[in-house]
Amino acid sequence: MTIQITMPGEKLIQGNEACVMGAIASGCNFYGGYPITPSSEIAEHMVRRMPKVGGVSIQMEDEISALASIIGASLAGSKAMTATSGPGFSLMQEHIGFAAMAEVPCVIVNVMRGGPSTGMPTSPSQGDVMQARWGTHGDHPAIVLAPASVGEVFDLTVKAFNLAERFRTPVILLYDEIIGHTRESVSLPESVTVIDRVTPDDALEEFWPKEADPDGVPAMSPFGDGRRFHVTGLAHDHRGFPTNDTAVAEALINRLHRKIDAHLDEVIEVEEYLLDDADVAIFAYGIVGRSAKLAVERARLNGIKAGLIRPLTLWPFPTAQVAEVARKVDTIVVAEMNLGQLVGEVERAAKGQAEVVSHLRTGGEPVTPTALEEVLAKIDGGNA
Amino acid sequence: MTDVKIDIQPDMTTEVTATERADVRSYLRQWAMPHVLCPGCAHGIVLRSFLEAVDQLQLDQDKIAMVAGIGCSSRLAGYVDFCTLHGTHGRAPAFATGLKLARPDLNVVVVTGDGDGLAIGGNHLIHAARRNIDMTVLLLNNSIYGMTGGQAAPTTPEGAIASTAPQGHIEPGFDACKLLMGAGASYVARVFAANPIEMTKVMMDGLSHPGFAFIELVSDCPEYFGRYNKIGGGPEMLNWIAVRDEGIAGPLSEKRFVEHIPVKPPAIGVKSGVLQREIRPVYAGVRAAEGQHT
Amino acid sequence: MTRREIRIAGAGGQGVVTAGRILAEAAILSGKKATHSQLYGPQARGGSSRSDVIIAPDTVGFPLADNIDTLLALSQKAFDKYVPELAVGSLLIVDTQCKSDTPPEGALYFPIVDTARLATGGELATGLVALAVLQAHTGLIDADALRKAVSGRIPQQHLKSSLEALEAGMELAPQGALT
Repeated sequence: MTIQITMPGEKLIQGNEACVMGAIASGCNFYGGYPITPSSEIAEHMVRRMPKVGGVSIQMEDEISALASIIGASLAGSKAMTATSGPGFSLMQEHIGFAAMAEVPCVIVNVMRGGPSTGMPTSPSQGDVMQARWGTHGDHPAIVLAPASVGEVFDLTVKAFNLAERFRTPVILLYDEIIGHTRESVSLPESVTVIDRVTPDDALEEFWPKEADPDGVPAMSPFGDGRRFHVTGLAHDHRGFPTNDTAVAEALINRLHRKIDAHLDEVIEVEEYLLDDADVAIFAYGIVGRSAKLAVERARLNGIKAGLIRPLTLWPFPTAQVAEVARKVDTIVVAEMNLGQLVGEVERAAKGQAEVVSHLRTGGEPVTPTALEEVLAKIDGGNA
Repeated sequence: MTDVKIDIQPDMTTEVTATERADVRSYLRQWAMPHVLCPGCAHGIVLRSFLEAVDQLQLDQDKIAMVAGIGCSSRLAGYVDFCTLHGTHGRAPAFATGLKLARPDLNVVVVTGDGDGLAIGGNHLIHAARRNIDMTVLLLNNSIYGMTGGQAAPTTPEGAIASTAPQGHIEPGFDACKLLMGAGASYVARVFAANPIEMTKVMMDGLSHPGFAFIELVSDCPEYFGRYNKIGGGPEMLNWIAVRDEGIAGPLSEKRFVEHIPVKPPAIGVKSGVLQREIRPVYAGVRAAEGQHT
Repeated sequence: MTRREIRIAGAGGQGVVTAGRILAEAAILSGKKATHSQLYGPQARGGSSRSDVIIAPDTVGFPLADNIDTLLALSQKAFDKYVPELAVGSLLIVDTQCKSDTPPEGALYFPIVDTARLATGGELATGLVALAVLQAHTGLIDADALRKAVSGRIPQQHLKSSLEALEAGMELAPQGALT
């Protein structure tokens, strides 16, 4: 389905505002949240915008209930979203697992701030990358998208809704305080393509809520439309009913992963820049990806053959794409605003074909273009 | 002393008599039987009373959504042939809030227990009550954590034995109805599982109430509470509950009944019946039709 | 033009954040790309205010300040804090009330706060006057784009006096004396 967008010309938009615009373009009609810096602008815009699109917005009592409310709304047929930051994201872990297990589409935005604990509410960080992957207990699939600009926040919010609906799974949009708060000139697309969940076409009495198609994704019927069924976070069979049958449980968990792993081309997105002749590549995402791009451009002016690989999809990790870069270059610099969360994944993907080094920053200051330019110059000097 | 309002009787429009009890099997997922409840557990009586209320009110089976948390009571959601959501521990009112706001045409029923609803989920319960979300909450209070093996609950009476209170529980218990009245629930009632006819009546009343209806069903746990506290099996426990209902030997609200713990002089006994009823605006969220909180 | 990094720094109540947004919007109306960021949190409530605006012809790239090349210092505190961080050769526009033992080389002094007061009766338009000076002095943004951006952002009841402050600021610039 194609949705037209009315948005005359280029405008100065804040990242958190672009997230709301992307959600509405995607058909979001339910927002449940709990205010927390630096994501609160999303709640503030949502409470104004939702009524205008026939949707509902509610401020819940905490982040646990915020995610629960959107899961309830999604089961009722809504396209639902919540947004939070660090401490609230910790509280949401319980229901991220529930949404993955019960296969309830929803979008969770985490505007990362400095941690651990209450940390630095108004400072940026990329400290939640591993939590977004592994924060909830048990083996579960995870789709995590990381925009690097205000325009990309819009695009990836749409993509987050589409992937959530396509695969019946929670999707996490992960960006930092800088992307959330910065205002940028943005030209929105004239239209976006929107994917809706598949609804069942079999007769009412033959419907089982967890009978998957060959793709591994079961059709989804909203509560109240005549198909009566059970939804549970316990391991369950095709009827959605709890089971202790280990073979059934294993098949379920494997299917939850397979439905995404078999369609990585639909999920994984990577920007590659000046890599063809590169000796050194920076691996960076989110705001650091933009520092890296500027650093690469400046380094090129100084004759350094530098390039950039910037994942827009952090999870599932773009292993094949990183492996390809590792075959081309001598060195990969992994730059992150944390103490080293994705560098291990890069090493795993590179399999020793390129040297992997880290440039890390924590405490609330971003990794700057100048800092990365110096790193590139040093590596180039060392190799000369 | 207590300031609990008493003797506010249900406004009954439909009489239910023992001879008219309905065949409720059409509301059950018979393929999901046998159920997990223990012999002597009164939760089944509560469920039957609820299904009779649904039948008496002729509610549309397709439009009932039952939302449950974790625990013995919450397992009831698996056996009823409605749209059912078995969520996470204590969070049922939060799931139900989203469900109700997204689909106001649904009859949303939360089924929870004393541990689920008053310990881990206490926050969600009081906020759903405060907002006056149009839902009916059935809190089955068996005074203990049954499913996990008899640990102490926030309703376990002072002095009672639990697996995590082998010498007798040292904490006072919650009075669920007082808590919910304080939170602003527009309908609060307590009924005892030993009295199924009244359960059905009060559930019909609660299901018909516009707004947040909270009904505490005083149930039993013969397997753990009854055994640990030497009360006996199902019949003995129901009898014990019935005695409490009469307000004869230590009102339940005082939560004290074991002899070696000093018992305060009984205040006015909290008995079964409707304890609070008011009509106030039902929360519909911030949505287009109203444009405002309603 | 190349990438420009402009910092507007002053006191709370001088319209510094609004001025930053207007500068970015005026740059977009001038056919350029722009980003705007501001200080959040306790710092912002402590009486200091700061807007950073990056302007570039095609794409901004890194949206935050990396090497500030233009500073509009509108209060003593802002002057003391940000002037020492400024690279040699940067453009420095300062309110005349900011004192220092030795004025920084190349600094341009204008009565920005006084002009705002005169035009509007308060200090809220200080940031706008500073933008006007910047526009008149550098042509970095078009004058009409700036007027249009102000009209699009300032509430109706303050618009007339704000536009007057803007014009007064533009007239200041040619008189700007090198110290």
